[in-house]
Amino acid sequence: MQKIIQDIESRYSVSEKEIRRNNLCFLTIPKNQAISLVTYLRDYQGYSAFTLLTAVDWIEEGHFQLTYLLNNPTNYTEIGVRTMIERDHATMESAHHLWESMQTYQRELKEMFGIDFPGSPRVDEDFILEGWTDIPPYRRDFDTKKYAEETYFPRPGRETNDPAEYMKSKLFPND
Amino acid sequence: MSLKDILTPFTAWKRVARTPVTVRDPFNDRPGADRYRGFHKNDVDTCIGCGTCESICENEAIDLVPFKDPVSGDSGLRPRIDYGRCCWCALCVDVCTTNSLTLSNEYTWVATDPEEYRYTPGVDKKSWDENEKGWKKPEGNYEFYDLNRVAMHHLHPEERSDSFIEMVTGYSKEQAMTEADRCVECGICIATCPAHMGIPEYIKAVRNDNMEEGMRVLYETNPLPEICGRICTHKCETVCSIGHKGDPLSIRWLKRYIADQIPSDKYKEILNTNNLEVNDKKVAIIGSGPSGLSAAHYLRLMGYQVTIFEQYAEAGGMMRYGIPEYRLPYDQLDKDINYILSLGVEIKYNTRIGDKITLADLGKKYDAVFAGTGLHLGRGTGIPGSDNEHVYYSTDLLRKITAGEKIEVADSVVVIGGGNVAMDITRSLARLQMKKYGRINIIATSLENEENMPADREEVVEAREEGAIIHPGWAPQSIEIENGVPIGLHVVKCNSLFDETGRFNPQCSMDIKEYWPGKMVVQSIGQGMDMTYLSDEFKENITFGPRGRVQTNEYFQTGVGWFFMGGDIIEGPDVIHGIANGHKAAVGIDRYIQDKLNSKQ
Repeated sequence: MQKIIQDIESRYSVSEKEIRRNNLCFLTIPKNQAISLVTYLRDYQGYSAFTLLTAVDWIEEGHFQLTYLLNNPTNYTEIGVRTMIERDHATMESAHHLWESMQTYQRELKEMFGIDFPGSPRVDEDFILEGWTDIPPYRRDFDTKKYAEETYFPRPGRETNDPAEYMKSKLFPND
Repeated sequence: MSLKDILTPFTAWKRVARTPVTVRDPFNDRPGADRYRGFHKNDVDTCIGCGTCESICENEAIDLVPFKDPVSGDSGLRPRIDYGRCCWCALCVDVCTTNSLTLSNEYTWVATDPEEYRYTPGVDKKSWDENEKGWKKPEGNYEFYDLNRVAMHHLHPEERSDSFIEMVTGYSKEQAMTEADRCVECGICIATCPAHMGIPEYIKAVRNDNMEEGMRVLYETNPLPEICGRICTHKCETVCSIGHKGDPLSIRWLKRYIADQIPSDKYKEILNTNNLEVNDKKVAIIGSGPSGLSAAHYLRLMGYQVTIFEQYAEAGGMMRYGIPEYRLPYDQLDKDINYILSLGVEIKYNTRIGDKITLADLGKKYDAVFAGTGLHLGRGTGIPGSDNEHVYYSTDLLRKITAGEKIEVADSVVVIGGGNVAMDITRSLARLQMKKYGRINIIATSLENEENMPADREEVVEAREEGAIIHPGWAPQSIEIENGVPIGLHVVKCNSLFDETGRFNPQCSMDIKEYWPGKMVVQSIGQGMDMTYLSDEFKENITFGPRGRVQTNEYFQTGVGWFFMGGDIIEGPDVIHGIANGHKAAVGIDRYIQDKLNSKQ
């Protein structure tokens, strides 16, 4: 693991590295080098299996974190390539040409986070949220509770009691 | 399509003769994993209805519904789960303050009526109620709140045993905020506090570092926070939901923390009492103890002209003349009292009602009178030798210590009594011994055994730390007198205090005897009330209940309409009941005066 990290560091500007286990590490590199590194790992380092692509909304810092998780089936190691992209008008270079399944992940991120991958096949089509009109629901500024209250009707018969208020009403109503 | 694509499905046929790897009979016996998160179970006898499960539920799947009548420490409510919303995340189980809520590993349930999927675990019987497997909060793994309270620093016994300086140092800001962070805001404690203080609210103010808000919450129900923050009997802490698995919140110390942060000159601004209105109605208050001060405070806020009549030279009643300085320093006592007086409450010191001014005089001059005259008279044991002039009452000695009068403490002392007052006098006399003789030789003894001593546990522990000897479970028989002064106390072993019917009837082994030398003997077995100010004309209109206590209505009004009574003479004895009584009586007096005004119109 150390060896390959050193090799990557000699080729790419790794700003952060996190070695979780002796077979799993995460490397953060600039947006414009990410797809290049993913390609390099696939073609030259044996990381031929694409496990997943996922995003985290760091709303306070104003960016999304993308993670490309790659697996090397011969030595059973995994590398997560992380990159930060601007949250406003979030766009990332598409990697659908590297693995076919990549387009599904990119389509999901478009729908759930609003991250665009221009050129990725069917990226603008509805994925699972058919007819969604609100902001993408995995963005942290999406208010799930408010949406649920506005969209769905409450179940009739629900009622609750606050313990302190209930005890007051029963034990010392006049105090 | 290639040839391979066409042939591939047929390759499955080569497995036809092999043993299947799947479960053979999928319709029977396929239990969830041992720690599967299935349907809810609740031990309703352990559950206290604190509602933390409801608060933490992200899906709002939980309602609290009535199960039984609430009692101190149990809201009587129980959680009902709506499986239309539950996602079985088990946060409700992990946050549960009593560990009563768990998940079984049952996960199949078929019903035709959707309403059935909303049920109260433990109340609505289910087939998985006895299921041992499933999800329980793992012990010692993680906690959503710290189970251990932030320890309060006390002066070491060596530092405090010869001095009356305050022994509890108080929380720092960091300590207070850490402690406040343990509160789950269930509010179970409110009903148990006699004054029903807004405890979760003021703890929240500590957490938010908003002392001014905290102060306003305190004064809504308690105008003596510096005092209560030090010496309250903190019954609230006995029911704290966090106390079921860990240490209860240090509610008392957090209250003290808030009051300690606000300097006296900021009180009026924060509490918005700079310009209180004054109406033309007058109320007299007898006694400046907690109930009298509390009544005065709330009456003054309502605009009444309030005058307190105090028999001693300073205000505070038992808080000043009964509680030793090391537990409640005089400057903190004065901070609370002076604020109340600064609102325009008049106080006449050294004025005992019944001497020159009678209760009838007050009734004529004032629109209403409140008496919170307390329990000031020492009770005697009546044993042979107890009438000796060197056998004392704890109340008298404590009062003299406060007043600065010299006490000829003997080099050996025996205290009879095992309550908080007995511990107060024991520890005070021990300090005086240390100052005078450089060593402590004091024994306190109680009828009750160690477990049943009426004193707070910490009082007994601290007294021992300071060098006093506590001998619980002995009955005093006689005081040995030699040359007109006491020289010791004879006791026998006391086995039990109450008979089968619950009547006070001590049983002793007369052959197990002890003799403890002591040149000074102090009796501290309870206090009585001095009601001599109630002349016969009043007694006719007042109902007396058990143990000579006056019967009042819920607003502490006696049979004499304008005369209200509260504090230790009615309820307690402790400071917080006095405060609660005074507040309620103030409301009652206001109603009484307003009703009278309305009936005249």
